[in-house]
Formats: sequence, structure tokens, C-alpha cells
Amino acid sequence: MSVAEVMAEVTSVAAGLPAGQWMINLCEQRYAFLVGFCAALLRQQTTLLPLSRAEQVVSELGAAYPGSYSWDDGAGQDALRGELTGSRAGVVALPSLAADQCAFVGFTSGSTGPPTPHAKLWSSLSGSTARNASRILETIAPVPGGSRPWIVATVPPQHMYGMEMSVLLPLLGDMPVHCGRPLFPGDVAATLAEVPAPRVLVTTPVHLRALVESGLEFPDLALVISATAPLETSLAVRAERRLRARVLDVLGSTETCAIATREGARESAWRPHAGVVLTPGPAGTMVEAPWFDKPALLQDIVEFLPGGCFTLRGRNADIIEIAGKRASLAELTQRLLAVSGVSDAIVFQPEAADLGLAGRVSALAVAPGLTAASILERLRESVDPAFLPRPLVLVAALPRNALGKLPREQLLGALRAAAAGVPCDTLIASKESPNTKA
Amino acid sequence: MPAPQTAQERELAQLIVSALNLEDVQPESIDPEAPLFGAGLGLDSIDALELALGISKQFGFQMRSDEESNKRVFGSLRSLSGYIQQNRKT
Repeated sequence: MSVAEVMAEVTSVAAGLPAGQWMINLCEQRYAFLVGFCAALLRQQTTLLPLSRAEQVVSELGAAYPGSYSWDDGAGQDALRGELTGSRAGVVALPSLAADQCAFVGFTSGSTGPPTPHAKLWSSLSGSTARNASRILETIAPVPGGSRPWIVATVPPQHMYGMEMSVLLPLLGDMPVHCGRPLFPGDVAATLAEVPAPRVLVTTPVHLRALVESGLEFPDLALVISATAPLETSLAVRAERRLRARVLDVLGSTETCAIATREGARESAWRPHAGVVLTPGPAGTMVEAPWFDKPALLQDIVEFLPGGCFTLRGRNADIIEIAGKRASLAELTQRLLAVSGVSDAIVFQPEAADLGLAGRVSALAVAPGLTAASILERLRESVDPAFLPRPLVLVAALPRNALGKLPREQLLGALRAAAAGVPCDTLIASKESPNTKA
Repeated sequence: MPAPQTAQERELAQLIVSALNLEDVQPESIDPEAPLFGAGLGLDSIDALELALGISKQFGFQMRSDEESNKRVFGSLRSLSGYIQQNRKT
């Protein structure tokens, strides 16, 4: 689609939007998302990006922002009166927006209480997107004939990474995007073939591993971008060999947007975007940059290297990432405890995600009279599917020690016992538990 | 009482359980007409990727999800098994 065609649709959608100040954009379809987001910008409405699409999360968000309304694929389809699937969006040229316009609010999961909002001003999005674009262009240089790279993304537009790479790069970085969201390796190959070279694939380690292991041949790629979870060197090396393109690992967060990159196959240290300043602190690392409207906290602990590069040395153990999404174990535990009939519970992550494998969470729960299946069904109303415990093991009591803490070994022991078929009413691992039976 | 599984559905159920490390699920207990994704077995797109790899190794073809006709195949064990039987090379 031409720039003019897209702008005509954005303008027409904008005219029909409700009068609220906040648009909750739930679109899974990238074109509907992009058109809704641009239309909201034209109407000077701020887009809210909920942590997940779980219905309770969305309704809590609506309650926290009176005057908000939802915009989803159905609304997009009605407004656009046409096919949403398979649209190839080109670049969109918005009329210039005020630097201090609040384009959207992203949310992160807090350990306690409601999600933490992070407002993004147009000026700071412009700054970080400009740096993302130039880092991409310098990595794929020389670009044949100076043509613009086309983006194909496997990630959804709602999270920071998808927003930056598949929505803002087309809007601000002059890089057109394919609106599909291919899932299987066969789909990814087919979608890549639908756009001209040079092609940039925006994906995650979980997806990249699937592509590499599929054995498929892919169309020529200029660059592969990976983010949201640690990218193991061995996977980056294999990916470069199979996909015949450099793999650029990107470090960012909802709080900071993308702030650093490295070529995962050959660099272990991150190269910050020019202008980024990192200051270590007790809870993580403060990040500042000329395009930020205020400093932001990165949850990781940083170690500086000569030349301005840095490596990461561990992070807040409460925060976990699965395939591009972030959650707090403490918050997940609260959601599980909120299920009626659950009297005690703990959500934990037995294996950290590595080598591109998704490290699922597990849970123990005390819920007499309930089944794991019924609890999971309730939990699905408030928790993103990627974070539903697998397995959820019912126990007579949590294995607390004398201090009331839950040692990790006891939690893992309970999981092993459950896997070995030990009946759940005898699963009391700690001798110090007050409910110990003979 | 869930519908009984055919031999081919049982084979697929075993693949699902092993490919996805569903330690607490017995393959024969998967109702062939119940949902696999979202509700029912509760699989998500990360599982779909892992499963597609297992399917390509065992049945010799690449899964696709981008055609409208493909999307229905994930509705249940039965529909996925039918799709595999139609497309298998090994």
C-alpha cells in the first residue's frame, strides 16, 4: 500500500474514533494495530498497551483509566471495511506531532499492586527509533542501491519490542513493514518471500531456534534482530550460518526502549546507543539519554568494560521472561492466591530460560476440593497464557521452613515427587511444617 | 465420556506429550475433540512452534498457519491428526 493509501485510512478511522482520552489497543493484526495507533495520535489520544490480553487485566486497566475505550481487530475490521490479513503496509507519514505528546503508555508488572505505567513521549520515541534505525543501517551496510530495508516481524505490536521494531520503524525510521505475523518456519519463509530485499527479520530467541532447527531454506536476509531474552552465543552462531545474515541482539525494556546492541555471534559486550549513560544503583542500573524525558531503571546489574561497552551481571530474581513477555513471580503468585478456594500458593521458575528454550513457571497450591484444571481455567482470566503454571501441583501444605520461607530445593523436590506419582495429600516436604503427618 | 482415540490420534497425542514435556498428561487421556490451544490442553504459540518441529521430524512436512484453511486444524487433536494424515510424507 502506498503512503497516501495508508494515510487516507488512518484519517478516516481517526474521524470515527470515540471521544475518550485513552485508547486500549488490543489488535493482534499488525495493520489494524498500526492504523488504530496512528488514528489515536491524530486525535491526540494516548494509546494504552496492557500487560496481557487476559480479560481481567484489560478490565482493570479500563477501570484505572476512566474515559478509555478498547480498539481491537473487530473494531479495526469494521472501521476499515475490508481485509486485515495479508496487508503489506508501507511507510506512514504522519503530520508532525508535538514533541511532548504522550504517544502511549506501556506497563510492567510490579511485585505488589497494580502494573507500573511508563509514559512514552513522541520526542523520546523519535530519539530512540532514530538510533535503532541507524544501528540497523550501519550493520547491514552497504545497502544495495540505497533501498530501504523491509521488516518482517514474528512478534506482536503491543510489547515494547514489537512497538519499536514493527510500528515505530515504519512510522519514523522509513522502513516498511509486512503486517503479517508468521508463526511456523514455513510461514516465516513465505512471508519473507513476499517482501523485496533487503529484508530484516525481527524475532526472539525462541523463534530463532525454531527457524534454525527447521532445516528450511529462507529467502536472502540482510539482518536478523533478536530481543526480549538472552540470546546464547551458540544459537547466534548457528542462526548466522543457517540464515546467512548477521544476528543483532538488542537490549531494551519497557522502561528504557532499546538502548544497546551487540552481534550475538561474536560479541559478548553490549554497545550502547550513542548518548546513553548508565549509572549502577542498588535496584539495577539507572539509564539516561538525551532523548529520554526522565531517567529510567534497567532491572539488570551492569559491569562496564573499556570503550563504553558493558555486560550484564544478573538481574532482579523476581522478574522472569518467557518468549518476549515479562512478568513478576510475586505478582503471578498473587493472582494464583486470588483464585477462590486457593489458601496458599507459590509460583516459581524451575529452569531459567536459555538456549532459546522457554522456561515455564511451575506452581504449588493448597486448594482443598479444587482440581488443577479448574484453578488454571480461573487463572487464565488474569494471567497471560505464557505464564500459566506448568505444572500446577496441588499439595496439602507448602514446604515452608522454620522461618516461613520456601527453599528452592523444597519446591523442586515437590515437583519431582509429583512427577513420580506421589499422591498430593502426602506431599509435605518439610519436617518443620506444622501439618506434618506421621 | 471423551470419544476414543484412533491409532493415529494416539500417535499424535504421544508426540504432543513428549515434544512439549507435558509430564503430568497421559497421551490416552487427551479427548480428541477437546481444544488443544487456549482452553482444553491449554497450549500456546510457543508450544505450537515446538510441536511443529516434532511434526516435521516425525511426519516429514512443514506446518503452515497462514492460510485461513490451516487455522482450523489446531481446533482439536482430531482435526490436527487429520491435517497431518493429509500432509505427511513419512
